[in-house]
Amino acid sequence: MRCPSLRTFCKATRASLPALLIFCAVSHTARSDWTVATAGALSHDDNVSNARTYNDKVSDSSASATVSLLQLIPIGESYSLAAGGALSGQIYDTLSGLRNESIDGVVSLKKKWGLGAFATWARAGISLGRSDYQDGYRDATLYAASLELGKRIDERWNLWAKYAYERRAATPRDAEIYSVSSDAFSQRGRSFAANAEYTLSDRFSINLGSLLRHGDVVSTTQTAAAGYYLLLNSKAVAPDPTFGPGAYAYRLNGTTYGARLGAEYSLTAHSLIGCGFQRFETHAQGGNNYTDSMPELTWNYRF
Amino acid sequence: MLKSFIGTIGLMAVGATLAHAAEMHAVVRDHKGKVVADAVILAVPVDPRGALHARPPKDAVDQVDKQFVPYVKAIFVGSTVRFPNSDHIRHQVYSFSPAKKFELPLYSGTDAPPIVFDKPGVVVLGCNIHDWMIGYIYVSETPFFAKTGTLGTAVISDMPAGEYQVRIWHPNMDHAEETTSQQVTLTADASANAEWQIGLKPNIRVPRVSGAASPAYP
Repeated sequence: MRCPSLRTFCKATRASLPALLIFCAVSHTARSDWTVATAGALSHDDNVSNARTYNDKVSDSSASATVSLLQLIPIGESYSLAAGGALSGQIYDTLSGLRNESIDGVVSLKKKWGLGAFATWARAGISLGRSDYQDGYRDATLYAASLELGKRIDERWNLWAKYAYERRAATPRDAEIYSVSSDAFSQRGRSFAANAEYTLSDRFSINLGSLLRHGDVVSTTQTAAAGYYLLLNSKAVAPDPTFGPGAYAYRLNGTTYGARLGAEYSLTAHSLIGCGFQRFETHAQGGNNYTDSMPELTWNYRF
Repeated sequence: MLKSFIGTIGLMAVGATLAHAAEMHAVVRDHKGKVVADAVILAVPVDPRGALHARPPKDAVDQVDKQFVPYVKAIFVGSTVRFPNSDHIRHQVYSFSPAKKFELPLYSGTDAPPIVFDKPGVVVLGCNIHDWMIGYIYVSETPFFAKTGTLGTAVISDMPAGEYQVRIWHPNMDHAEETTSQQVTLTADASANAEWQIGLKPNIRVPRVSGAASPAYP
């Protein structure tokens, strides 16, 4: 009987323990700042399969939880180094194969131009993670590098933007179709996100976000005709039994446009609940265009 | 000998004044009738000689659980304030306020040098590492001041009898403190009451916790 979460956790712990001990020792002497945070979310995706046609669209609801530990080490007046990691898990209502556990580590360097909450800041970060799925063929190592720029205009308005490069490396199985790669679950992409947060009152805030992403997307279909059409334009094809015995996943090149609207309410100084709605529209190779709508409820606690 | 004689006479004079000291009880409410904490009550003697005996004391504003404690501190002009850090992390305290601009580079414990507040006015405190940390020091031009507690009440004691211009200040007050001014007459060995009803703006602050999308900290 396999236990993906435990296996991933043990591997990651073995690999990162020496680095973590050194980091803790350095940070202890520097009297740095540990932040433990937890988050939970309930969400619904009306197109988990990223399918174009109505018949291929599969919707499902999921619950996720994350625990993260982050260490902040101020370096002088303008710079701060942050390092940490997170453990997270996600379960789906009906698509049990998508149940996953992840572990990741992140290191970032932040610079502030000036003192205080209203100073412009920039941050460069890299992260490394591993996700294990119930259906193991989706397992992947995740690499990301990002650059962020932000400024709080006043107590009400907070603006920031993020450019990210991400890579997801999965282990492909044997090819089923001659001369076509079976590495359908490895992806690369670049994204740019712009966000704004507006504080309405001492407890309420709303946030708006937009996303532009270009890179690999994975669409899964059960329809033979759609499959043939996709096959002509895809970079890789692999069976995807998570969505049924005859389902195939196709890796395509695509551009995604996204928008998010959310509202948050502070329960205490340490916690908040929120709700949000995300909408994505993807234009993939060969006219494989699809949309995703995702309402969600969130909860965050920071110790 | 002469000095100690003058000192004794001085103390007797102050003692004689305080023996007939008055006190003022204040209550602050908002427009909905809810009591207001952290309002600073200031009583300025109409005759400035009434404040001559005052001496600026030493004060402190601590940092506990990444918050300034107290949130509002009232001090007399010329006071020296220390900023001990009770957290096990470093803070970088600063103020851009015209009444006192200063910066304490990253420190922990009680390493930071004390700051002298030599100009009346409001000093807004911040921490460059933890953006949500905000605190206020009200530097009073009069030695007769007090801060309301959670019941919205405050008492200024040991006040010489006489005429006073009394006003209040609060971080979220939606109008200038000068508009709250009222005249109060204190008679010896008696107490006077003063009451205010003030409008408060929403307490908009940089949030300590933001949703997953918000990256401002760390």
